[in-house]
Amino acid sequence: MTPDPGPATAPAAPALDAPRAAARRAAARPAWRDAIGRWLPHLVLWPPLLVSVVHVLGFTGYTTWMSFTASTLMPDYEWVGLRNYTAVLNSRNWQIATDNLLIYGAGFVVLTTALGLLLAVLIDQRVRGENLFRTIYLYPMAVSFVVTGTVWAWLLNPSIGIQRLVRSMGWGGFRFDWLVDREMAIYTIVIAGAWQASGFAMALFLAGIRSVDADLYKAAQVDGAGPWRIYRRVVLPAIWPIFIAVLVILLQYTIKTFDLVRALTGGGPGIATQLPALVVYDLMFQRGLLGRGSAAAVMMLLSLLLVLVPYFGFMRWRRHREARHG
Amino acid sequence: MSATTHRRGLLAAAGLLAVPSVAMAQASAPRPRITVISQWSAGSDGAAISRLGEVFTAEGGVWEHNPVPGFTTEMMNKLRADILAGNPPAASQLKGPEIAAWSRIAPTVDLTQLVAAAGYEQVVAPDLARLHKPQGRWAALPLQVYRTNTLFASRRAMERVGATALPKTWAEFNDLAARMKAAGITPVANGGIRWDDGQKFECALAGINPATYRKAIMELDDGALRGAEVLGAFRQLRMISEWMDPAASGQHYSTFLPRFVRGEMGMLMMGGWAQGVIRHAGFSDQDYLVGQVPVDNGRPCFVLNADAFIFWRRREPEFQAGQTLMANLVMSPRVQEMYSQITGSIPVRTDMDLSGAGWSTGQREAAASLAAAVQAGQSVLSLAHNMAQTNQMSAAMIDVLTEFVHNRSLRPEQGQQRLAEAVEAAR
Repeated sequence: MTPDPGPATAPAAPALDAPRAAARRAAARPAWRDAIGRWLPHLVLWPPLLVSVVHVLGFTGYTTWMSFTASTLMPDYEWVGLRNYTAVLNSRNWQIATDNLLIYGAGFVVLTTALGLLLAVLIDQRVRGENLFRTIYLYPMAVSFVVTGTVWAWLLNPSIGIQRLVRSMGWGGFRFDWLVDREMAIYTIVIAGAWQASGFAMALFLAGIRSVDADLYKAAQVDGAGPWRIYRRVVLPAIWPIFIAVLVILLQYTIKTFDLVRALTGGGPGIATQLPALVVYDLMFQRGLLGRGSAAAVMMLLSLLLVLVPYFGFMRWRRHREARHG
Repeated sequence: MSATTHRRGLLAAAGLLAVPSVAMAQASAPRPRITVISQWSAGSDGAAISRLGEVFTAEGGVWEHNPVPGFTTEMMNKLRADILAGNPPAASQLKGPEIAAWSRIAPTVDLTQLVAAAGYEQVVAPDLARLHKPQGRWAALPLQVYRTNTLFASRRAMERVGATALPKTWAEFNDLAARMKAAGITPVANGGIRWDDGQKFECALAGINPATYRKAIMELDDGALRGAEVLGAFRQLRMISEWMDPAASGQHYSTFLPRFVRGEMGMLMMGGWAQGVIRHAGFSDQDYLVGQVPVDNGRPCFVLNADAFIFWRRREPEFQAGQTLMANLVMSPRVQEMYSQITGSIPVRTDMDLSGAGWSTGQREAAASLAAAVQAGQSVLSLAHNMAQTNQMSAAMIDVLTEFVHNRSLRPEQGQQRLAEAVEAAR
C-alpha cells in the first residue's frame, strides 16, 4: 500500500498552453497511433491487475481453504473444521508469538514514531546540509531487514559488540546483554526495527510539517508563540492525518516482520522472540504441516485486517467529510 | 593385507552387479541418466557430491545435479514442487523418518532386490536399515554416517587443568568441567542454536542410558519420558547450560573454534563433521582430543545421523538404468570411501577397513564405535538431526529443549513435564 501523503502535495498549476499543444499534435498523428494511445493504458493496467487479483485473492482463498483441511506435507482436501486453528492457538509457540507481537508492536510503533518526529522537527530547523542529513536518516530504509538484523546482531552481541566496546573503554561493569537475555531479547528487535524505519517516518512527518500553511506560522509568531508552542499547538495538530498514515504503515510492518527476527535472534534465545510470521514459516516449511501453517497465516491476515479495515473506514469518513465541507 | 583383499572382493562384486544392469540398459535404451536434488552446493559436501557425479559419468551415465543451497527444508520445498508438478527427480536427498513420510505421497523405486543382491543389509546398522525401507521395501539408501555424540576436548584447556584423558562417565565429565570452570575456562562450547541445544540433550540421555533413549525418544514411551533417567538427562542438561558461555546466543558452533583451540573453552559436543570444520578453519588435529561423549555404562554408544538418497519412480528407461547404477555406486565401498574421506563422515558399511592413510584418527575411532555399538545394541537415532522422529515431532520436542537451555529458571522437573506434554500434543 502507498502512504497517504495527507494534504501535503497540492499539484502545481498546469502549463496553460498544454491542451492546445496536444490538439495540434493529435491532428498530425496517424490513426494507428491513436489506437495505440487508446489501448496502451488498458494493456499496461489490466494484465498486472489480473495477475495481482489472481495472486492475492486466489492464493488467499486457497490458503484459507487449506487451513480447514488435514494437509500435512502435501495438500490434502479432507475437511477438518477448526482443528488446525485450535491446535495453533493452543501451541506454546503461537502464544509466545502473539505476546511478543504486542510488545514489539507497541514498542516499535511508539519508538519509531517518536524518533521519526524528533528527526523531522530537527531537520525542519533549516539546518545547513539538510539534504545530506535527510539522506543519511532515510538510508536505513534502503537496507534490507536481513542486513539490519545481521549488523545489529553483531552490535548487540555482548562478547563482540557494544558491551565489549564500552568495557574496553574502561567501564568494566557495563552490561548490555539484551540479545542473550530471554526477557529482554524482544526489545533488541524493537531497537533494530526502529533504527530501520524511523527515517521513513521522518520523511513522512517532514513532508507534513513543510506543507503546513506559512500563514499559520506567521499568525502564531505574531501572537507571540515560541517554536515549541508552535509545533505543539499549530503544526502537529495540522498534520494529524500523517500520524494515522505512519501508524498504519508501521503496524502492518510489525505484523509481517520475519526477516529482521530471523537474522537478529533466529527466534531465540530458545523460542523467546518468536513472532507469528516465524511460526507460519516454521509450521509450513520446517514441520511440514501445511494445514496448521495456513491456519496461522489466516490468523495473521485477520490481524492485518484489524488494522487496515478501520483505516479504510477512517479514510472514507474523511473523504465524506471533506466533500461535505467543500 | 587380508582386509584389503576383502575390500577388493566386495568392490569386484559391486562392479559385477553394476555391469550387467548397465549393459542391459544400454541394449534397450540410451545411456543411464539421473537427476538429483540436494542441499549440498559448497564446501566439502559440494565437493563430495561433485566427485560422485564424476564417478557416475565415468561409469557411462549422464549426471544432472541441481543443488538447492540453504536449509534442508528449502531443498524439500523444491522437492514438493517437483512432486506436485508430476516431475520428481530420479533421486533426492532425504533423511530419517521423512523418508517414510514422503514415500507415502509419491511412488518410490523398490530397491529391495538390488540391496539383497549386494548383500548390503547385513552391513548396515539395523535402525538405519529400518528407516530406509518403509513398508518393508528399500526406497532409499544411506550415503554417509555421522556420530552426533562426539566429544572434542581442547588440548590446551586439558593441559591447564592437568587432565590427560576424555571423561568416560557423566560424573567424570562434571568433575572435569568444574575444574575447568575454576581455572577460568568456559567448560562447554555451545552456540545455542536449536539443534545444537537439542543435541546436548540427546548426548546427555544417550550417555545416561541408551536403552532409555530408545524407549523415550525413538519410541516415545510415556512412562520412559516421565521416568527418572529422562529427569536425570534434564539435570545434566541444566549443568551443561550453566557451563556454556552466557554471552552465546544463536551462534553457529564454528564461531567458537578459535577460542576452543586456544584453550579458552574446554569441551565441544558436536557431530563428527566438526573435524572437517576444524581442519578447514586452519587448525590441526593435534589441537584437540576426540572420542565419544560420556556413556555411564562404559560401552560404546552411537547416536546416529545419516544422509541418504531416496529414489523416485520414473517411467523413462534411461532414468531407471540411472537409478540402478546410482544405487549400486552408493552401496559400493569404493564410493563410500571416496565420499566419507571428503566430508569427514564415516561410511555406512560397518565392514570397511579404515586403516588407510585417507582416514583420520577420529574417523577410525567413530567407525569402530559404530560397529561395536551395533553389536552391543547401543546404536540409536539422533533427535536433534531429525533421525528419530518426523520433523513435526522433532521440532515440538526441540522447542522444549532449547527453551529449557536458555531459560535457567526452569527446573528439570518442569522441563521433563513440558517435554512429555509436547510429545502428547504433537502425537
